[in-house]
Amino acid sequence: MKQILAFLFFFLTVPAIGQESEGIITYEQVIHWSSIYAKLDFLSQEEKDRIKLTWGNDDEGRKTKMKLFFTPSQSKYTYESDQSVSDDGRYSWQNDEYLIFRDFDREKKIELIEMLGKTYLIEDSLKTPKWKVMNKIKDINGHVCMLAMAEDTIKKLKVEAWFAHDLPIPVGPGQYFGLPGAILELDMNDGDVLITATNIEMKPVGEAIELPRKMKGKKINNDQYDKMIWEHMRDSMVMHRSPYWSMPY
Amino acid sequence: MKKLLLPLLLSVVAVAVQAQNSGRITIKGTVVDTAGVALPGATVMLLAPKDSALVNYNRSDEEGQLEFKNIKRGSYILKISYVGYIPEDIPIEPKENEVVDVGSVKLKILNQDLFEVVIKTARAPLSIRGDTVEYNASSFKVPPGSTVEDLLRRLPGMQVEQDGTVRAQGQEVQRVTVDGKRFFGGDVKMATKNLPAEAINKVQVYDSKSEQARLTGVDDGKKEKNLNLELKESHKKGGFGKATVGAGTKDRVEAKVNYNRFNDKQQFAVVGLGNNTNQTGLSWDDYQDFRGSQSYNWGDDGDFGFSNGGGIIFYSGNDDAESLTISAGGRPEQGFTKNWVGGVNYNYDNKKTLFSTNYYFNQTDKMQDAFSSRESILAASSFRREDANSRNNLNANHRGGVRLEQKIDSLNTLVIISNARFGSGNSRYVSDQEFYRSNASGDLTQLATESDLDNTSLFNSFSMGNTALFRHKFKTKGRNFSASVGYNINNSDGESNQRSTNVFYNENEPDSTLRINQTNETNSLRTQLKASLLYIQPFAKHYFWETFYNFSLRQDEVNREVFDVNIDNNTFIPNNQLSRYYTNNFLYNRLGTSFRYSNKGLNVSLGAAALQFDLQGDFKNSKLSSTLTRIDRQFSFITPNGNVRYDLKNNRNLNLSYSMSVNEPNIRDLQPIVDNSNPLYITEGNPNLIPESSHNVNAGYQYFNSASFTQFFGNIYYNYRVNQVVYNQQVDENLVTRSRPVNITGGSNTGLYLNYGFPLKKTKATLNLNGSLNANKNLIYVNDILNRTNSNGYRFATNLSLTPSDKFTFYLNGNWSVTNTKYSVNTSQNQQIYNNSYGAEMNVKFPAEIYFSSRFNLNTYVNDRFGFNRAQPILNMSLYKIMLKSKKGEVRLSAYDVFNQNQGIRQFASQNFVTTEQVSTLARYFMLSFTYNMRGVTGSVRRRGYF
Repeated sequence: MKQILAFLFFFLTVPAIGQESEGIITYEQVIHWSSIYAKLDFLSQEEKDRIKLTWGNDDEGRKTKMKLFFTPSQSKYTYESDQSVSDDGRYSWQNDEYLIFRDFDREKKIELIEMLGKTYLIEDSLKTPKWKVMNKIKDINGHVCMLAMAEDTIKKLKVEAWFAHDLPIPVGPGQYFGLPGAILELDMNDGDVLITATNIEMKPVGEAIELPRKMKGKKINNDQYDKMIWEHMRDSMVMHRSPYWSMPY
Repeated sequence: MKKLLLPLLLSVVAVAVQAQNSGRITIKGTVVDTAGVALPGATVMLLAPKDSALVNYNRSDEEGQLEFKNIKRGSYILKISYVGYIPEDIPIEPKENEVVDVGSVKLKILNQDLFEVVIKTARAPLSIRGDTVEYNASSFKVPPGSTVEDLLRRLPGMQVEQDGTVRAQGQEVQRVTVDGKRFFGGDVKMATKNLPAEAINKVQVYDSKSEQARLTGVDDGKKEKNLNLELKESHKKGGFGKATVGAGTKDRVEAKVNYNRFNDKQQFAVVGLGNNTNQTGLSWDDYQDFRGSQSYNWGDDGDFGFSNGGGIIFYSGNDDAESLTISAGGRPEQGFTKNWVGGVNYNYDNKKTLFSTNYYFNQTDKMQDAFSSRESILAASSFRREDANSRNNLNANHRGGVRLEQKIDSLNTLVIISNARFGSGNSRYVSDQEFYRSNASGDLTQLATESDLDNTSLFNSFSMGNTALFRHKFKTKGRNFSASVGYNINNSDGESNQRSTNVFYNENEPDSTLRINQTNETNSLRTQLKASLLYIQPFAKHYFWETFYNFSLRQDEVNREVFDVNIDNNTFIPNNQLSRYYTNNFLYNRLGTSFRYSNKGLNVSLGAAALQFDLQGDFKNSKLSSTLTRIDRQFSFITPNGNVRYDLKNNRNLNLSYSMSVNEPNIRDLQPIVDNSNPLYITEGNPNLIPESSHNVNAGYQYFNSASFTQFFGNIYYNYRVNQVVYNQQVDENLVTRSRPVNITGGSNTGLYLNYGFPLKKTKATLNLNGSLNANKNLIYVNDILNRTNSNGYRFATNLSLTPSDKFTFYLNGNWSVTNTKYSVNTSQNQQIYNNSYGAEMNVKFPAEIYFSSRFNLNTYVNDRFGFNRAQPILNMSLYKIMLKSKKGEVRLSAYDVFNQNQGIRQFASQNFVTTEQVSTLARYFMLSFTYNMRGVTGSVRRRGYF
């Protein structure tokens, strides 16, 4: 009898535990173009001022909804929908391919990214960002979060991530993960791009976390990816163009 | 069994490894609150002491116990954090032992005030460094105009006493710094009472050594409370501005100044320029600096629905003199001009209200001498007109504008726009025209008519445009309603004198002379009331139904009084044939609907509109005359409209569109009155004209890869014109042309444009190729014979950009174009026009901030049949040095048109004529100029592009 009870207990609690750390986080990504342009060193101060003056008050043009599916061992981050729609709903366009999949148990990642005019499939081992944990806390959507900072040395970005104490899973949006809690806000380069969690749902994600069957792209690894980005950053600066025209931030 | 064995085996191995390697340690302890109650699930992190880098992390277990096993021996910071408690940092310094036990770590409860107010309510980040607290000022709302003191009162843990003393956590604040710098000797009250709260980004409270310790270097252990105010980025900025003055040979001078002050809410700008170097207005950069956030406002005309319906447009074209708003980006003028511009602009922007007002003055005084030659083709012959003329125009405009955009709430927006312009000017046109017909051997050398003209005019005008726009979004996403009303007025008074002497030479008859000396006064008043409605309803997923309605009532009242002047006794005799008084009402209604589908980048819209014109006009020879003629015409049309835009993967786009546009006949063209004020070109109206319409088809494909810097654009278009209004010509033996408008169907325009750009060597060399084809079919009756003019144009252009370094760039371009024109009535007049241009540009950066740039252009114009062959080499060079502290100054020596060849040359063929024109224009001059730029001058050898 005891064995049966123990079995029942086990049976009931395991899914409950699973449910505790499975769910979907919805993020809103806002890109501030005038802030990005203000940091491009090939522009003169006069040109930066002109951009800020003309567009600075009205540069929240691109708000995109993103979704992060997670289980204790895997996460998948992509667009909420494969199309974006204008505010009034009358015009739509296709989103660039962007899917970040991580398997924490196997320490593997699969990323499908449309950038530099092509779609790439990056399959390699997980590379955790080098985090520094800071003494700052704030509330995001009802969760107390602590600040951690990292740096993208290739894109030369300062990254601030706010991770939740009460969501003990090392997941996060975009290229960022590996903190003691889920990242609920990501601030890149002092507000150039802000990704904030707008909704957190704890529920079994089921098949939603699985990769799509069709994932076409040129296969590359981490090193090749880094090299391509580095070259593109260098060329863009020489050509006096914003590098973010052709790759995700 | 296997499943059990594996972990067992692993743990044995792990233990073995641990035992062998004394370089590994274990850290353990218990997390409890101040009462000693265990805190399970606390976040425990191991950080590197030097940079807080995260080494490892974990959670405390059910009993609040924490443990890190098998950690590399070294110093760490153990950081423990738990919701509602102050995070605790514990330094780990392992000695010989392999287990570091930190014992029970007591977490203090986070001050409830701080937690509730800062974290929960203000959603502001809170910094905790021992006793240091940082507040995000923008999270605490204070009324506009508040001081820092008002802001401090709202911060938890801060008190401001009656006398202005500031206390933080109960302790008096001894010093205040702004961005780390002392403010007015560190007087606390001076800073907190005078600085505006809205200028503050962050408030930081921290402890520091006492003044005594600071001076002596001996730490007396006393701590002082310090307050640091971090200013917002926007409030750090003062103004910026730029001024240029220059003087050159041929009495050329130029001056330009602009100054801006702005913060995140307000923008203020002034601009002024004066020159005699043919720069008439603002460049796009100057315009953006001047208008700031109000540089571009789309949809302000309030005309909803298909864009090309005709009838609703009040002001024609973008002609600067006609426009109510400031225009920018104009090309340098031809001839010789003196230009003045002055303006002030103020913008106020916040999330709810956008307000803008500006005043702008511009004046251009232009002198221009030109020579033109025009050959008109008749059925069996042709004739040529040579015209040597000189013009002098003075135009001045005062413009003022106000725009208010108010977001009433998240669903409703109101926009009110009012722009006005006062214009005045005068002009003089002196011309010597000679008409030649063919002689016995077929050359156009036989003088037929000679005409000397001397016309003067002056005018005053006032115009104003007012628009109110209301937009409402319904709660249902995609359901929208918009309404607009507008009232426009244009009033002008003008006076002009026309004098000419025309001599007709005939072989068999004696020569005859016709003199004209007329003066006329024209007053015209045009008003327009218009309104538009738009309703959008989503009716299924991805489907929208749009309905729009446009209304316009335009009223004109024109009184033109013409007098013949008798020079002998200086009397004015009313000329009843040319005088005219007319009023007309033009009513326009359009109702349209369309269906739109939008999904995954495929955007399709199909629709149609019904439109109606109602033209009513009364005209008579003078205001007092009783003979009244009436025009009363109604026209109805159905215009279909469709377009497809497909956004494909990898920066590719496809678009396809069809539209039908309809334009009503011009009221002057409908009046059956003969106008012989130019005795060589007599016009007459036609009351039977009907509106012209055209069918327009356009298809395009774009590909742009900004990573490989490759691009391709292709475009194809076709226009077919129905009932096009053309001016038929009757040319008599004296070469006097009588023109009358009629409708004709069958004219068309077809074309193709292709562009391909790619790097030859990435970032160093880029080649761009583009070409276009155009086939234009024009119909016109000349002496009752239908003439079909087919003009086929072919153009090819290439650009090569060489950008090997930041010190040297070189650009080459070539542009070849040929136009084949064929006249059906007289094939012997068929001809080819060649317009080619070649260019080279070189920019070099020398040491010591010295730059050199030069640009050479060779333009050639050839028409063999017309005996026209011109080559025009133009070389511009400039040498400049950036100087002064922070590179704020630039001194520049420029040479314009080194070969002294500049003139305006134009040649083109259309309908039944071909024309060439040469305009004398400001040529070679040298100029020395100095620029002072508060933001610093940036020299670059690269062409400016989009970024």
